[in-house]
Amino acid sequence: MSQLVGTDLRRASAGDQRIVAGHVRAEHRRRRLAGAGRHLILGLVTFVLVAPFYYVVLASLKNGTEIFSYPPKLLPIPPYLGNYHKLLFETGFPRWMFNTLLVAGSVTAIKVVIDSMAGYALAKLDLTGKRAIFLAMLILLMVPLGALIVPLWAMASALGITNTYLALILPPLANPLGVFLMRQFILGLPNDLENAGRLDGLSEFAIYRKIVLPLIKPGLVVLAVIIFTDQFMSFIWPLIATSSDNLQVLTVGVAALRSHGGADYGLWSAAAVMSLVPIGLFFFALQRQFLARSLAGALKQ
Amino acid sequence: MSATRGPDGGSDATPEAGSSRFAIEILGVQKHYGKVLALRGVDLDIEPGEFIVLLGPSGCGKSTLLKIIAGLEDPTDGEVYIGGRLANYLRPGDRDVAMVFQNYALYPHMTVRDNLGFPLKMRHRAKDDVKRQVEAAASLLQLTTELDKYPDELSGGQRQRVALGRAIVREPLAFLMDEPLSNLDALLRVQMRSELLRLHKRVGRTTIYVTHDQVEAMTMADRVVVMRDGLIQQVGRPGEVYRRPANRFVATFVGSPPMNMLEGALRTVDGSRRFEGPAGLDFPEAARLDLPDGELTVGIRPEGLTVVGPSDPAGVAAQVELVETVGADAYLTATVGAGATVTIRVEAETSPGEGEQIHIRVAPGAARLFDAAGDRLPLPGERG
Amino acid sequence: MFLGPMFGFFVVFLVIPVVGTLWWSTRLGGIATGTTSAGLNNFLRLPGLVGATVAIQNTLVFALLSVPLILVGALGIALVLARVGRGASGYRFLVYFPVLVPGVVAALIWLFLTNVDFGLFNEVLRLFGAKPVTWLGSGSALVVLALLDVWRNVGYWAIFFVAAIIGLPQELYQAAGLDGASGPARFRYLTLPLLRRILLFAVVVSTIWGLQVFDTALVLTNGGPGTSTTTIIYRVWQYVFGSNDKVGVAAAISLVLIVAILSLTVVQMRLLRARRGGD
Repeated sequence: MSQLVGTDLRRASAGDQRIVAGHVRAEHRRRRLAGAGRHLILGLVTFVLVAPFYYVVLASLKNGTEIFSYPPKLLPIPPYLGNYHKLLFETGFPRWMFNTLLVAGSVTAIKVVIDSMAGYALAKLDLTGKRAIFLAMLILLMVPLGALIVPLWAMASALGITNTYLALILPPLANPLGVFLMRQFILGLPNDLENAGRLDGLSEFAIYRKIVLPLIKPGLVVLAVIIFTDQFMSFIWPLIATSSDNLQVLTVGVAALRSHGGADYGLWSAAAVMSLVPIGLFFFALQRQFLARSLAGALKQ
Repeated sequence: MSATRGPDGGSDATPEAGSSRFAIEILGVQKHYGKVLALRGVDLDIEPGEFIVLLGPSGCGKSTLLKIIAGLEDPTDGEVYIGGRLANYLRPGDRDVAMVFQNYALYPHMTVRDNLGFPLKMRHRAKDDVKRQVEAAASLLQLTTELDKYPDELSGGQRQRVALGRAIVREPLAFLMDEPLSNLDALLRVQMRSELLRLHKRVGRTTIYVTHDQVEAMTMADRVVVMRDGLIQQVGRPGEVYRRPANRFVATFVGSPPMNMLEGALRTVDGSRRFEGPAGLDFPEAARLDLPDGELTVGIRPEGLTVVGPSDPAGVAAQVELVETVGADAYLTATVGAGATVTIRVEAETSPGEGEQIHIRVAPGAARLFDAAGDRLPLPGERG
Repeated sequence: MFLGPMFGFFVVFLVIPVVGTLWWSTRLGGIATGTTSAGLNNFLRLPGLVGATVAIQNTLVFALLSVPLILVGALGIALVLARVGRGASGYRFLVYFPVLVPGVVAALIWLFLTNVDFGLFNEVLRLFGAKPVTWLGSGSALVVLALLDVWRNVGYWAIFFVAAIIGLPQELYQAAGLDGASGPARFRYLTLPLLRRILLFAVVVSTIWGLQVFDTALVLTNGGPGTSTTTIIYRVWQYVFGSNDKVGVAAAISLVLIVAILSLTVVQMRLLRARRGGD
């Protein structure tokens, strides 16, 4: 800045006043640029993150030769629907989707109930060994099903339930994440509410059902969203637990396309797109809850 | 950095920029937030070394004004000069002012020592320099034993002192304080008030202090700026503002219990002018005013009303409804005539009881007159 | 009892299998063909077993590559995202989207991107006149796998950090500004220390996730070329279901993984108890 910085405007000449006004404008310009810069960076980042999707959607609408052509067509006109046709009618895709939705839905439904119950117990009830149980769950929280393949598979074989829906649904119920989430939520509820219920003579279960549950509805939604998405994406265990074709879940089926069918890129991209449709819609509709998942994690600290 | 005169050499009357007579000058500052007008044209000159208090109810714009001076907000219009230099486009850190926040804003992950030293560290001062300044500030504020503690280990009063210390080490042109005492309990607040004043006398820097507590303002300020709805109502020494409020708002805001306000009118009756007030309270002074007939409000502070005997010609009958004793004083709430209520200060020992009939009169010179618009009318003989 | 059902599942499907892994790791043979006891043999053999050590090594390299990239990227994005006003929710949606993609599908997508002939990456290279690259070659496949993971997970942590950053008290930044701290100084002395706990949490959790990589490795490269993208869980799967039938060794490796995860969890629990995180 020139030596005219800080000149007293009222007593300065018109020329000086203009110079100072220029400094003010420069400061404003600097701020606007910073804002634009941010948008630029974010635009670039989101482009990099999202461009592959567009690319895949494109490919799914091209037939075999178009895919390999160079320079690549950027707009799918006319769209080739053969890939989708093949996907829906010649592979087990619809069955896979059904299976996934069934399994994920069941797990979600069951877990919402048992996790909130357990969370309530850990948060508000006095039980012997509560601390020990809590600690045990905390420590094993991060152990994934994938690390337990050997014994789980042995167990499933021994019980004779391999290749059944049971095998797909039961083990994921063990994950304690939901319990912690619910506990966190329920801890936030003031004790007075339940005490009032107790004074009114309600049984513990009635308190849980009538007082606590309605109050934690948003938490339940977040929980459901988290569990559902996790189940939707799970791969290792379903891969191992089921071998027959009509029990394949989405992730396993799609992986099978890769290893069995030879390099049919069109089909693969159609599969990719179709897999994303339910989750994509789900996410779009429930944005807030999805992002609340991360918030819940941050709050956990 | 000192600027020089303009390229034309300036006239003899142009002062050297950067050497204004005032510490801080505020010219025509306005601030809108969308449709909300937080400040509506504020002008103020602040003398170097003075302790000036911005006083007003919530929402009056006092905190906004402080933030604009600090550079944390930009004015929508108007100019701010700090040390004679235009500060409008300067970043807060470049303005040479230090701020003490209501919630102290101490860096929770740093020790007291690091908190105090942070401003100096940011300005790249030598390590020994920093150490010296920090220890000096600590001893000034009696924090020497807490230097290696963290903010969450300190009491409220101690945290406040650290916040002060952080401002002091910078030796800025002015201190800005945003309701620093409002988070402390009553006793601590009184203690800290006198400590702050003591500090001010020692350090002697210009201080702009924001509060909604008029007791704080009255006891601490060299000058008080009463604000309301984004406008300055009055600027003056505490005594001034108390004895000669500029308008009804200032009159009732300052002073506790608030000034009694009695509605009346100035009328010409039978050729002579009379003030007709409630229950016949008369103010002969009013009649001498050079004003057209019209509505008039009379304000009298509780200490301006005295209890007299029934035979006093200037006395008016009143019925005591409530007696509140505060230490050596008692405040009577009494109804006068047709439903007007007044508060009267009396000595607790000789106080009448509830339900009693008493007579009161206005002490000479205690009345303040306000016109229909609420501004005070100077009485004849007053300098205004 | 309330706790009953959940705890029941927890014990049956989590606790018992953990113990079970321990038991199986002392066995020799295959699940179907029956096993005999082998004591600690499997563990002693591990270092010498090339298949196992390669898997562990690959997994470690993978984690070492992906975790820092993910977190640094996420923090950078979060810092910008936290200050952007308009369009913030749009950006958040887009940034988070890859997180929702199942690993298998993500790998498929990347198969496209990395295809030598028509993949997007090589197309871009061609645009700049550079020569096309074999992305999934034996040297680079693991790196590409790591990049895939970064692409998938950066959004999750970015949103996470944004929530944390927004939660930081504004007044502290105002005070720092008045104290003369520049933007970078505010980041270094204020943002970073205040986020310390969250960052530690992120490091531990994303490392634990990184160690579990499997589905992408399977679909993208089938563990190859050679064994360059064979990860721990991949190897375990091979040992149990492939032609190898080395149940004990598989369990042993699984146990190594479990122990690693448990120690990281404990480390994190300890670290979070450390004071002065700036809460």
